[in-house]
Amino acid sequence: MIFREVEDRDLIAKARRGDVEAFNLLVSRWEKRVFNYLLRLLANREDALDVTQDVFLKAYQNLSKLDDAARFAGWLFRIAHNEAFSLLRRKRPESELPLELKPAETGRLLPLELSLAVESALKRLNEDQREAVLLKVYQGFKFDEIAQILDCPVSTVKSRVYTALELLKTVLAPSVMRGAGSE
Amino acid sequence: MSCEYDWKSYALGEMDRSARREAEAHANVCPACREELASTRLTLDALSTLREEEIPRRIAFVSDQIFEPRWYQRAFRSLWSPNFAAACVVAGAILFHAFRGTPGQAVVNAQIDAAVSKAVAVEDARYAEQFERLASQVNARSEVFTRTVNREVRQ
Repeated sequence: MIFREVEDRDLIAKARRGDVEAFNLLVSRWEKRVFNYLLRLLANREDALDVTQDVFLKAYQNLSKLDDAARFAGWLFRIAHNEAFSLLRRKRPESELPLELKPAETGRLLPLELSLAVESALKRLNEDQREAVLLKVYQGFKFDEIAQILDCPVSTVKSRVYTALELLKTVLAPSVMRGAGSE
Repeated sequence: MSCEYDWKSYALGEMDRSARREAEAHANVCPACREELASTRLTLDALSTLREEEIPRRIAFVSDQIFEPRWYQRAFRSLWSPNFAAACVVAGAILFHAFRGTPGQAVVNAQIDAAVSKAVAVEDARYAEQFERLASQVNARSEVFTRTVNREVRQ
């Protein structure tokens, strides 16, 4: 991870000097993570792909504004967050999802089904909670890093993650029990 | 739950080492906290089953106009390329020969004529020398013949 950060920093320095290939390498390293974050957040493949493209375009255009190359990941996800919520605000009426705490269906659960149950459960969270979980659980950021990405207090981040985990625990409990029981 | 341990923070890796040890020691003696921690971990384990999707198509930038370097950036960068160095060497050689001056066709012809004339003169001299040698030999033999005839006539 340390070596990866050093290499990223080197690539950022080269990209700042106009080396397009260095930036392309950065894109290839981060595009999958950014795409998956946006895919879960926006719940739409085409939107996620378009926004991922926009994120890297903005990142390249604003690379000179990145103060500390070691904080590239947080900075990149900050751009992704802004772009995603900009789109969500434009599409608000159709993207709002009801928060249903109805437990999943009964029956034996396979790993793929558990994965689908998780995907469905994540969609039941509101956007703020879902994003907090995505950044914490799937992207591995610390609470203070997430606070910087979302531009909000650490306490707000903790509250969103904790609330989301409680909701997910309730929604996923039957699936988790059946998944554990099937092993 | 009456205990004040933050098991979500523990399971999410946000606790420092000393706080983790303290929490673990407590969980060993508190069934309620053990259960709380286990259910949180189970939820996180379930979340980890969500498969990461491959990006449908690669995010392409090289072909985008906006990412192409400007003309002065390309020119500056090309200064350091081996191709540019090779081009410089070739251009230098061309300029060197241009300024040093190349002989015209008339000069070349004159040089050829001079060389031919010199070769012809050498050959002429060689033939003349050979002719003189043969002539002197003929004269010498002629004298000997004349003397011999005269002697025989007198006898």
